[in-house]
Amino acid sequence: MIVNLAERPGASDPAAVPGAGPQPQTGIGSGISIRDAVKRYGSFAAADHISLDIQPGEFVTLLGPSGSGKTTLLNLLAGFQQLNAGEILVDGKAIHNVPVHKRGFGMVFQSYALFPNMTVAQNVAFPMRMAGLDRATSDRRVHETLEMMRLTDHAQKMPSEMSGGQQQRVAIARSIVMRPRVVLMDEPLSALDRRLRESIQIEIREIHRTIGSTFLFVTHDQSEALTMSDRIAVMDAGKIIQVDTPDEIYRRPRNRFVASFIGESNLVEAEILRREGGALTLRTRTGHQFRAESRDEVTGRNVTVLVRPERLRLHETAMPGSIPAKVRSALFLGEVLRIEVELDSGEVMLVRCPDRAGQVLPDPGSEVHVSWGAEDGWVLA
Amino acid sequence: MTDVPADALMAPRRSLRQRLSDPALLLLPAFAFLAFIYVQPLIDLMMTSVEGEPWYADLARVFSTPLYFDSLIRTMQIALTVALLCALFGYPAALLIQRTRGVTQMLVATAIILPYFIAILIRTYAWMVLLGRNGPINKVAVWLGIFDEPLGLLFNRGAVLLGMTAVLLPIMVLSIYSSLTRVDPALKRAAMANGAGPLAAFWRVLLPLTLPGVGAGFLLVFVQALGFFITPTLLGGPGDMMFAMHITQQADSVTGEGFLQALAVVLLVITLVTVAVAGRLLGFEFIWGGTRAAPAPKPAKAVDRTPRRGLSATVADTVGWPLLRMVSGLQARWGAWTVRLMGGFIVAMLVIPIVVVMIISFSKASYLTFPPPAYSLRWYEKFFSDSNWMDAFWNSLGIACLSAGISVSLGATAAMGIVRSKIKYKSTVMLLLVSPMIVPPVVLGLSLYSLFLKFELVGTYLGLAAAHSIGGIPIVVVIVAAALQGVDRQLEQGAAVHGASPLTVFRTVTLPAIAPGLGAAVFFAFLHSFDELVLTLFLSSPRMKTLPLMLWGDINYQLNPVLAVVSTLEVLLVVGGIILARPVLTRRAGGH
Ligand SMILES: Nc1ncnc2c1ncn2[C@@H]1O[C@H](COP(=O)(O)OP(=O)(O)O)[C@@H](O)[C@H]1O
Ligand SMILES: [Mg+2]
Repeated sequence: MIVNLAERPGASDPAAVPGAGPQPQTGIGSGISIRDAVKRYGSFAAADHISLDIQPGEFVTLLGPSGSGKTTLLNLLAGFQQLNAGEILVDGKAIHNVPVHKRGFGMVFQSYALFPNMTVAQNVAFPMRMAGLDRATSDRRVHETLEMMRLTDHAQKMPSEMSGGQQQRVAIARSIVMRPRVVLMDEPLSALDRRLRESIQIEIREIHRTIGSTFLFVTHDQSEALTMSDRIAVMDAGKIIQVDTPDEIYRRPRNRFVASFIGESNLVEAEILRREGGALTLRTRTGHQFRAESRDEVTGRNVTVLVRPERLRLHETAMPGSIPAKVRSALFLGEVLRIEVELDSGEVMLVRCPDRAGQVLPDPGSEVHVSWGAEDGWVLA
Repeated sequence: MTDVPADALMAPRRSLRQRLSDPALLLLPAFAFLAFIYVQPLIDLMMTSVEGEPWYADLARVFSTPLYFDSLIRTMQIALTVALLCALFGYPAALLIQRTRGVTQMLVATAIILPYFIAILIRTYAWMVLLGRNGPINKVAVWLGIFDEPLGLLFNRGAVLLGMTAVLLPIMVLSIYSSLTRVDPALKRAAMANGAGPLAAFWRVLLPLTLPGVGAGFLLVFVQALGFFITPTLLGGPGDMMFAMHITQQADSVTGEGFLQALAVVLLVITLVTVAVAGRLLGFEFIWGGTRAAPAPKPAKAVDRTPRRGLSATVADTVGWPLLRMVSGLQARWGAWTVRLMGGFIVAMLVIPIVVVMIISFSKASYLTFPPPAYSLRWYEKFFSDSNWMDAFWNSLGIACLSAGISVSLGATAAMGIVRSKIKYKSTVMLLLVSPMIVPPVVLGLSLYSLFLKFELVGTYLGLAAAHSIGGIPIVVVIVAAALQGVDRQLEQGAAVHGASPLTVFRTVTLPAIAPGLGAAVFFAFLHSFDELVLTLFLSSPRMKTLPLMLWGDINYQLNPVLAVVSTLEVLLVVGGIILARPVLTRRAGGH
């Protein structure tokens, strides 16, 4: 079955094109449903039975280490690669028979991929020329989109005359000029320096709000994923490990991989003593008892408990439930102190405490006591 | 003058030492050699051409004699047609190399590049075999009932165009392929993601971006074709005389001093003007397949709102685009199949002649016919037992070794000088060093002839080897300079910091790094001399036959299977060399 995605409601309707102002446009984003998608290169599965449902207008980020299959999944969606098994539905329709250029998605590449033989304006006008829109409509939309990206002054420049950040903004303009129902971005910011990256992150979020398309964004940078996404899909070795909102991913990671890939983490091996619903009482190998929360599905006696460094507290004297430790190193990072302590068991824990008046950096080797609250520990499945 | 300050005495001594260790000095040997054997004879040639009374008398005669003037026009027409045909067929072939993967890619690339290293004489001979009355094409056509009886397919304009296109095609394919590899693959994806079908992506993005490569290939082919001599002589009829052929003919029937030179000067000037114009447009790097440094960004005019549109863009929009939209209803697979079919056809055109010749070399028949009625090694026995052939073989081997030695010692030092010195006008120096690549060999041969007479070098090993080195040096310079540019300077600096003397640094760091490049340079310089025919025609004596000379004589006299034996041996030599040189070649292809 061939679905003609070129006929997009809203896309060809000039009234649906927002002006320069951030008027929220909702309803043009497509729902995407990836079902049991498999992509193999030889015997190696780059996408290994992936299922993911994305709501219309949602901003979803694929996050994972390099080689985890993020680009593969995005390329499957864009149509550069064909599924070996499973299916991908866009607005409920399978798209595997639709060729790339008829899918009507917007796409931004890490290398910008601006056509070097065309001016900025011609680059942005490219999708409309391909769609056969008339000159007047095309010119108007190019103008609007360049204005939105604050690129109007650069319209007649060649891509090679612009900085990396400007080029990527042109690429973004090109990807949204048709107001596509789905915008795909593959590590669009990883070639830029940090400050530029942060400002364009905000810009992309704003565009998302303005045009209301469904965004699928790929990054290996966890902080980028945390700040930008409605939901994050964490990938590893061709599989999606967890899909959740950024705070859920950070606070309640499903397993060790997610816990250590996102943010810094202390992982404590412990044995379950008592279980009351999601609240557990546990004991460390050195015999210290503490409490932590868990998903209900946690089974078995021996588990790993995640405690984020900023949830740990350091005391000069022993407190109820605290564990004695020795300071290994202490660094002043500005807004926080980063202190590494070693427990008697030999486990090393990382502590981050906010910089407060009167606080002094503890000397390496000094005796301290570490503690955390019942709601600060999270039992990994 | 006794009271000269001490440091004034010291200063010149230090600067002399510094000057002596300047890498730019490494350019001197090659320059001296080329000045003597290349530049000076060409200047002499030009001077002789204007010795008439008035000075332009001989030049004017070239243009006022219909025979020569018509031939000049014909030569330009043929060269232009061949360049167009090469572009037309070369593009799909280059695309095919780029689109295939793995073993297929290696096979396709080898099939296209291998013929490039096989002597033009041999490839032309293969086409004579293929097109001959007893050749496979006639056989197949008669068998299929297309012809009633074998036709004379040789000695006409079509055969010349076909042969020259086949011979020059690899240059075009390499030029286009190298520009294809420089296009960011993401651009094609970007075009497709933005709604461009495969055809539109090609027309709007890939073609415009590779146009410089097409242009460079076009000009290289055109310039080479202008001076072509071997192929039109062997495949053409009386009505297909190309300009270079007049020069050799006139040289045989010694006419008035000056006129011959005038003919050569006309050919040279046309060639140089073409190259100069092309160099202005594309950068002179196109001659040696280099890439132009990124052009300085043009100052942006923010106020200027009219889109910049060149002529080509306008043509593309008004003519090409509507056409494309008409055929855009075609399945996307058509594009892929066009590339495969056309590319496959090109590969076949390049490979089949060579394969046919190799098969014929094992023929039992005493005349050329395909397929051979029976197989034997009798022609191999004949080749190895015939003292004429063997003498020629040893002569060629000796000359080629000597020439490779000269080319590599002069070329490699010059490459070192050009890469490592801080001289200004590096590209001008490079241009001078590689310029022998574009001077028509016929012109070079003629200019060298009087020099060789004067110094009694005609028909000597040294003389021929030196003459062949004129073309060998550019090959070496290009390869070794590329290899040197790939050497990590920090490694050398690291070695120096840890106490290695410059010579030790060169021996322990630089030399191993460029060794593969040097090896390839030796091989290709050897091959250049081993295959050289045109200069040798001018500069050898009846007692001094080289293998190409023997081949040439036999081809003109009678087509026999011994020629196929020599061709097969040459193919084996080239294949062997390429297998040895492959690491370098693949690095060069992938690294830029
Ligand atoms: N064309 C290909 N052929 C073979 N293996 C591939 C190909 N493309 C990607 N891979 C492999 O698939 C895995 C996932 O790659 P990719 O999707 O690019 O990862 P990511 O974008 O997360 O870094 C990697 O191990 C990569 O080596
Ligand atoms: Mg990737």
